[in-house]
Amino acid sequence: MARTLLCEIVTPERIVYTNEVEMVIAPTLDGEIGILPLHVPLVTVLAAGELRVRYNHSKDVEWFAISGGYLQVHEDKVIVLADNAQVASQIDVERARLAKETLESRMRDLNEAAADAADRDTCEFDLRWCETQLKVAEKRA
Amino acid sequence: MPNLRDIKQRITSVHSTRQITRTMEMVATAKIRKAQERIEAARPYALSMTEVLGNVARFVQGASHPLLEEHAERKRVAVVTITSDRGMCGAFNSNILRLTEDLIARESGDDVDVSVISVGKKALSYLRYRGIEPDAAYRDISDKPTFADARSIAAHIIPAYSTGEIDAAYVIFNRFKNVAEQRAEVYQLLPIESRVMEQAEGDLRITPEYVFEPTPQAVLERLLPTYVETLIYRGLMESAASEQGARRTAMKSATDNASEMITTLTRSYNRARQAAITNEIAEIVGGAAAQEGA
Repeated sequence: MARTLLCEIVTPERIVYTNEVEMVIAPTLDGEIGILPLHVPLVTVLAAGELRVRYNHSKDVEWFAISGGYLQVHEDKVIVLADNAQVASQIDVERARLAKETLESRMRDLNEAAADAADRDTCEFDLRWCETQLKVAEKRA
Repeated sequence: MPNLRDIKQRITSVHSTRQITRTMEMVATAKIRKAQERIEAARPYALSMTEVLGNVARFVQGASHPLLEEHAERKRVAVVTITSDRGMCGAFNSNILRLTEDLIARESGDDVDVSVISVGKKALSYLRYRGIEPDAAYRDISDKPTFADARSIAAHIIPAYSTGEIDAAYVIFNRFKNVAEQRAEVYQLLPIESRVMEQAEGDLRITPEYVFEPTPQAVLERLLPTYVETLIYRGLMESAASEQGARRTAMKSATDNASEMITTLTRSYNRARQAAITNEIAEIVGGAAAQEGA
């Protein structure tokens, strides 16, 4: 039996995933990082993108869309703190696409109205999350 | 002598009021549980967050970050006031609004501008009535707050603090102590107090040598805003749970009061009925006696 890692993906709202896995591949700001068992203790910032975990002797892979966050590795335990996270197979493509359109038009309105920077930031963040979900869903559907 | 029909009518009316309050009490009880579950669900994230923060704090000794630094001057502060969208929850909202008003009065006394961000319809209508226009107003989120809501609120204060537009930020919300107890509380969001960092650091049991990607400073820079967002999110959720708790307590005493009133009214109704019957008998007897005498 190969050594495994305990992988936990948590968002502020719920625990998205927790399982014994063999490898975690996460998107960092400078490219992807792969975590195997016995990794040194690490804290890293994650970018928005696709996170993969391999388990069951690397026969099975699970994909996730995450909107950025942090990853901490310590003693074969990987904690992913993501603002948003979703299993690829459960991404609601239709909903994400609709949300994206709404947000895009809202973004245009906000730009024209030279509105509050705060509103624009929030809108942009949500928009990026929709795009990330769509990208991951497209690739993995 | 109260009229029989009037009393009867009042009993019916109190009865239907009691039915409403009792239903509201039961609905609130169900909602407390859900709200509590949501708070529970947020705990793993908050715990891991504190852990990471503690690790980073240990590494970046004497860390400097705009959100940690106290501003030399206090000219403008921001307050996030969290109330509910609906009433019928006792002193829940008035406690919060009183604290808000106190804070505004105190800061204004020191020549500090206060900008308010209101959450909940109750805060908005109260503030407008008082002639205070909130900088941003959120409504219809108090029932099921999401992290996105918290992030959107934070977007109004974090950049403003970094650029020096505001010199402090507070959140006022009802802390959920238990089902029967809520306490209105003022919590300082910004600057992040140094004891938060020290405490997070002190909570660490194990202190392995961490590697930071890209650098400890960069991690900290990302982490602190998220930390503030988490605080706001927690405030929103605690307020949601407290609202239901306060409503349940208020509706329970309303139901009890209605029951008591019904008992009293029923008693006077019976007394009035008895009196009417006695009266009638007396009249009959009187009438019969008069007949016999004739």
